[in-house]
Amino acid sequence: MAAGPYNYSYIFKYIIIGDMGVGKSCLLHQFTEKKFMADCPHTIGVEFGTRIIEVAGQKIKLQIWDTAGQERFRAVTRSYYRGAAGALMVYDITRRSTYNHLSSWLTDARNLTNPNTVIFLIGNKCDLDAQRDVTFEEAKQFADENGLMFLECSAKTGENVEDAFLDTAKKIYQNIQDGSLDLNAAESGVQHKPATPRNPLNTDQTPNKEGCAC
Amino acid sequence: MAGGTEKFGHSDVDGYGFKRTEDFDYKDYEEFMSQYLSVLARRASRWKDIVGTDESSVSKSSKVKRFCRKGIPNEHRAMVWMSVTNADVSLRQNTGLYEKYINEKLEPKVEESIKLDIHRTFPDNIYFADIQDPQAMRRPLKHVLTAIARKNTRIGYCQGMNFLAGLLLLAIQNEEKVFWLMDTVINKILPDFYGPDMLALKAEQELLGEVVKWKLPDVHAHLEELSVQWCLIGMKWFICLYADVMPVETVLRIWDCLFLEGPKILLRVALTLIKLNREKILACRTFPEAVDLFRDLVKDPSTLHCHTFLESIFKETGSFPESKIKKLREECIERVKKDS
Repeated sequence: MAAGPYNYSYIFKYIIIGDMGVGKSCLLHQFTEKKFMADCPHTIGVEFGTRIIEVAGQKIKLQIWDTAGQERFRAVTRSYYRGAAGALMVYDITRRSTYNHLSSWLTDARNLTNPNTVIFLIGNKCDLDAQRDVTFEEAKQFADENGLMFLECSAKTGENVEDAFLDTAKKIYQNIQDGSLDLNAAESGVQHKPATPRNPLNTDQTPNKEGCAC
Repeated sequence: MAGGTEKFGHSDVDGYGFKRTEDFDYKDYEEFMSQYLSVLARRASRWKDIVGTDESSVSKSSKVKRFCRKGIPNEHRAMVWMSVTNADVSLRQNTGLYEKYINEKLEPKVEESIKLDIHRTFPDNIYFADIQDPQAMRRPLKHVLTAIARKNTRIGYCQGMNFLAGLLLLAIQNEEKVFWLMDTVINKILPDFYGPDMLALKAEQELLGEVVKWKLPDVHAHLEELSVQWCLIGMKWFICLYADVMPVETVLRIWDCLFLEGPKILLRVALTLIKLNREKILACRTFPEAVDLFRDLVKDPSTLHCHTFLESIFKETGSFPESKIKKLREECIERVKKDS
């Protein structure tokens, strides 16, 4: 990271969760690199991506935590949820089992983040419409019933990927503006950075101090 | 397939079939190889004396331990690994069992997990990328993972085991041997690493924290200050036993020691990486900087120079008394049990 003034005024922490093979890392890669990785390696533990975006004229740095999807890693990845301002919850429209597990992912997301965390449901692989196993309508209904934002996306073609990440940021920003998200609250998942030279004592991101819960 | 060392120069694929990245430093690699080849030649002639004429097994003596630390020549690697782990005994005593396992049905959930990861295993390796190739490794990989899950129903399949099996296949070239070696690794050398609760794996990462606190207290204090969790650093390193993490030749040299000496080697490697990068770690001022550094330091040129690196894992880390490690490990296991 270059020294000198910050070139962004906020940092938002995101997490990406969902079953293995739904395309979490590919979505992240598409968003940060604007490219599709056909043979995206699977994530072991956690990986990390960043991109600076602009919302309402404000530069925001998204710090995105991409987690492993396999069940046995959940005990470990749960410790990364804390302090997330946004959670992208992903299923694969061609595999119903990944949709059926959403309620358990949602329970984790709700229990381990703060009440203002924006949860965005993504139905990935919408380019594979011929192999569709989950309809748009039923996922939309699930999203509405649970107060989630929702889009079908394709990490392969890039369709709606920008929108999912950006709409989440807009919603978080809106929550800050209308006061429903208190930036001073611990674990809001948002840090405000004045656009002035960096303070050497200031740390960029401070997740939980208790360390790993695993 | 040749071993990883004969083929060098400007080939864009290494001796194990891995495509080299665009920024691969050929000059540095050639310099390294020009020295390493003479090491290899010397090791080959020294090993000849201990493998004997039938080349069927080696004993677990202190001489063999010393020899393994200096690297097993490619031509003996499979035999020595099988021999020092006693996987060769399991193979001999269980004729036909492997064939039986690969033809048995798995629980659908486990089968699907394996299927999802087959095409995500070393996609940058020509033997794993090409399905048409008769030498292609995807089928053997699927067989080995299926057989492991079938034999070890409690463990099933754990993501990361695909890289372990994949690299063993490239190094050993015999799927039945790979199966028995892997079965020995997950049950005897690293028990409870891969089970559903991954208890020993988590404890080992906590243990890494304790070892760093003991050997490099300033680094430990600094990482605590930045709230970097040990499981964030060690997860992939320990699950994959550095496969898909460090350069291939270095990983195989690590395994030469690991299969004989056990999990202490994983700690020594981690501690060495941390020690070699001590200044850089201490210079990190934020959590993301530290996370990025830990992702990159495994690709540092020092890790490519496998012989020097392996020497340093014993020199740089100092003594690792078994009794102290055992006591610390027990404490870590208790801590992890309490937290879960």
